[in-house]
Amino acid sequence: MEPAAPNSPPVSRRQFLRQGSRAAALTGFGALFGVLAQRTSARTTVWQIDPAKCLRCGRCATECVLQQSAVKCVHSFAMCGYCQLCTGYFVPEPNDLNTAAENQLCPTAAIKRSYVEDPYYEYTIDENLCIGCAKCVEGCNRFGNGSLHLQVRHDQCVNCNECSIARVCAGDAFRRVPTDQPYLLKTKGHGE
Amino acid sequence: MKHGFIRSRFTRRQFLKRAARQTGLTGLGGVLALAASRAACANPGDEPNPFAYDLGRLQRTDPKLVHYELQNRIRAPRAEPRRLALGPGPAIYVAAGNYISVLDSAGAVTSEIALAAPARCLSVTPAGILYAGLRDHIEVFDARGQRQAAWEAPAKRTWFTGLAVTDKEVFAADAGNRVVLRYDRSGKILGRIGEKNKERNVPGFIVPSPFFDLKAHQDGLLRVVNPGRHRVEAYTREGDFEFAWGKPSAAIEGFCGCCNPVSLALMADGRFVTCEKGLPRVKVYSAQGEFESVVAGVEAFSENAKACAANDPSDCTKGGLDAAVDADGRVYVLDLVAGDVRVMVRKASRQG
Repeated sequence: MEPAAPNSPPVSRRQFLRQGSRAAALTGFGALFGVLAQRTSARTTVWQIDPAKCLRCGRCATECVLQQSAVKCVHSFAMCGYCQLCTGYFVPEPNDLNTAAENQLCPTAAIKRSYVEDPYYEYTIDENLCIGCAKCVEGCNRFGNGSLHLQVRHDQCVNCNECSIARVCAGDAFRRVPTDQPYLLKTKGHGE
Repeated sequence: MKHGFIRSRFTRRQFLKRAARQTGLTGLGGVLALAASRAACANPGDEPNPFAYDLGRLQRTDPKLVHYELQNRIRAPRAEPRRLALGPGPAIYVAAGNYISVLDSAGAVTSEIALAAPARCLSVTPAGILYAGLRDHIEVFDARGQRQAAWEAPAKRTWFTGLAVTDKEVFAADAGNRVVLRYDRSGKILGRIGEKNKERNVPGFIVPSPFFDLKAHQDGLLRVVNPGRHRVEAYTREGDFEFAWGKPSAAIEGFCGCCNPVSLALMADGRFVTCEKGLPRVKVYSAQGEFESVVAGVEAFSENAKACAANDPSDCTKGGLDAAVDADGRVYVLDLVAGDVRVMVRKASRQG
């Protein structure tokens, strides 16, 4: 075995180029991984409304970047009184307790009223019609148990970095929640 | 030729000067527009809610209907007041937090009873025996505040919200099971009143939230609030449904919202005082259930009205009022939100 010449360079040009290109490839891969990791982390949380803070200010209907807001009214049936005179469904002074348009509080007739048994009625939300204005939520909270409340629907929300509703939310009710628990639903029983 | 024409109209210096001026003006315009748009967005809270829930005129009471005025205001001695009752003296019993405080007519605390849980209803006999309904059981105290008995929970979902005591019996309104239980004074259950029964023509109680009150009337019949039907129903001790009065309406003569009245008080002459939530108001009805007058309207309970209105995240189960009437016709109103007892007397102009 011949000893290396004392004045020969420790790394040959070929070695240098090989190692350099490997290092560059690794750096690029690291950078790519970092970017992907960052994007994945941004997707681990989503926007949601805390019903305990919502002030029913109406801005969910007007401020969302979508033409029809991604915020919808949802109904906690466990809390509902199934009232004949639902103050979330009827205007404050209805002519009669029926489904006539003039008696309905919802500006888009998004609440469906169906008879269960005397004198109970069930109220369900048609999310295709709901604009998230919270008028029914206010009616329900004003007189009743507060079973109607607003939530961001994640099949529609585009999860903006800066939610345009959150920016102007009067109750500071918007917050990021984990994607695996994306809803803050009301479940508390009557008076608890 | 073309170049010469241009040169004849603008020198390079003029061109640069004009361009700089126009750029400056455009920039200034942009800055102004940006400032204007920022100013418009600076206070979004100032913009009116286009979807506001408007109760409008319902929040104002016709002054001609208000026949009572404030005589005294007593601060509730503890936080979270729930119920009010009058004992001999009259002593004012206020259930607040895990205590029942006994106040004199000036509002000074004369004694207190500590409980393991909040009392949700009270009734005091002329001899000063106090019955307190905790969530699922009833406790009995003698006139010195010593606990004499605790009646065990009658059912799994029991939620007592109203008590009425007669010479021989105790009637307890159980909101959880939508029934009135009839006890003897030793705590033995004698019967159940008000369960839906078509054969007996009993309509059944509709109790959407834990507000379900009752009183034993001088005529021997029980008066039980059926809040989901917006009326007061009369029952015999044996549970026969006799008649009912009251109608759903946000107007002053009716009971507003989904479920009202939330509490009931009896006057010495057999008339009724009712309390409502949502639109907090206290009214007087005749013994037959005809609307007579207003003790205090929505204006008198501004904090209470706000408790479940917009700009407050809570719902209406946090609000409510309770009332009791003394032998002189003074109406004591407990405001659960403001945490005080208002002593209301009939206006001088309305007396006689």
